[in-house]
Amino acid sequence: MSEFVEECRREWRRLGVSDPVANEMAADLTADLEEAEAEGGSLEDVLGNSAFDPRRFAASWAVARGVTGPQPPSRSPLWRPPVAIALTFILGVLTIFAALAILSGHTSSAIAVTHQIIEGRGSIRVVPSGPGRIVLPGPLGPFVGTQISGIGLDPLALLLLIVGVVGLALLGVLYWRPWSGSRRFRHQRGGGTPGWN
Amino acid sequence: MASTEGRRSQLLRGVLDLCLLAVMGEGPAYGYEMTKRLRARGLSIVGQGSIYPLLGRLERDGLVETRRAASNGGPPRKYYSLSPEGERELDSGVSEWKTTRDAVDGALGLVKVEVGP
Repeated sequence: MSEFVEECRREWRRLGVSDPVANEMAADLTADLEEAEAEGGSLEDVLGNSAFDPRRFAASWAVARGVTGPQPPSRSPLWRPPVAIALTFILGVLTIFAALAILSGHTSSAIAVTHQIIEGRGSIRVVPSGPGRIVLPGPLGPFVGTQISGIGLDPLALLLLIVGVVGLALLGVLYWRPWSGSRRFRHQRGGGTPGWN
Repeated sequence: MASTEGRRSQLLRGVLDLCLLAVMGEGPAYGYEMTKRLRARGLSIVGQGSIYPLLGRLERDGLVETRRAASNGGPPRKYYSLSPEGERELDSGVSEWKTTRDAVDGALGLVKVEVGP
């Protein structure tokens, strides 16, 4: 019986019930259970089916008395885990760069880093790749590009594009559906507050 | 038989607060004492649920008053008694119950059943 009361205490603590109130409820319950035991009764004689689910019983009692602590603020349905946001950003950038690489029309058998140098106000000049290590002058110092020999541009860009698109699709299914955030939160808040059963 | 128990539980659900208020009307009582009073009146099914959450709600709603006092040789207990508002709630609830019971009897009373010993 003391195990039952201790389990109730843990649940009250979890629900934010203040110690004085929890102590009072635990004392009342303990006294009733001890009296029933002294009369030859069992836990079930006092609590019925609730005897098999102390957490449910404790939550029900605390909610009925209105002594539970403040609940955590509900999250917006738009909330997403930071990991999902970061992955989406990385995959998005990867996909865009892969698509740009394919669209830029590079067909050589080598891939080189493409540098964008901003010249003046609002003008962008894209410097095409060249063989070997290239050094480009710039207003903030020379830019250095490194050639990766032996890798075809199109297959690699295509591979990155596929990885990016598939990754974004998976993330979309897992995290970015309109109902996915609220569904997970409802699950976390599950448990309910039982009454008479 | 399980469905019979379920129906009794459902029927009692709506009036258990009145039953608790009624047994409190006999005098202040602590939780387990009320359970025993209800059992003495044939409501042993109370064991299928717990009266503690219900007592908590009655207290929160101001229908009962509580005080802590020593019990017979045991630890101090929380005694529940009717508040003035609880007495009014009991009166109106009993009246409503009788009206409902008569209406249900009017419908079910036409059915002839053999009641066992």
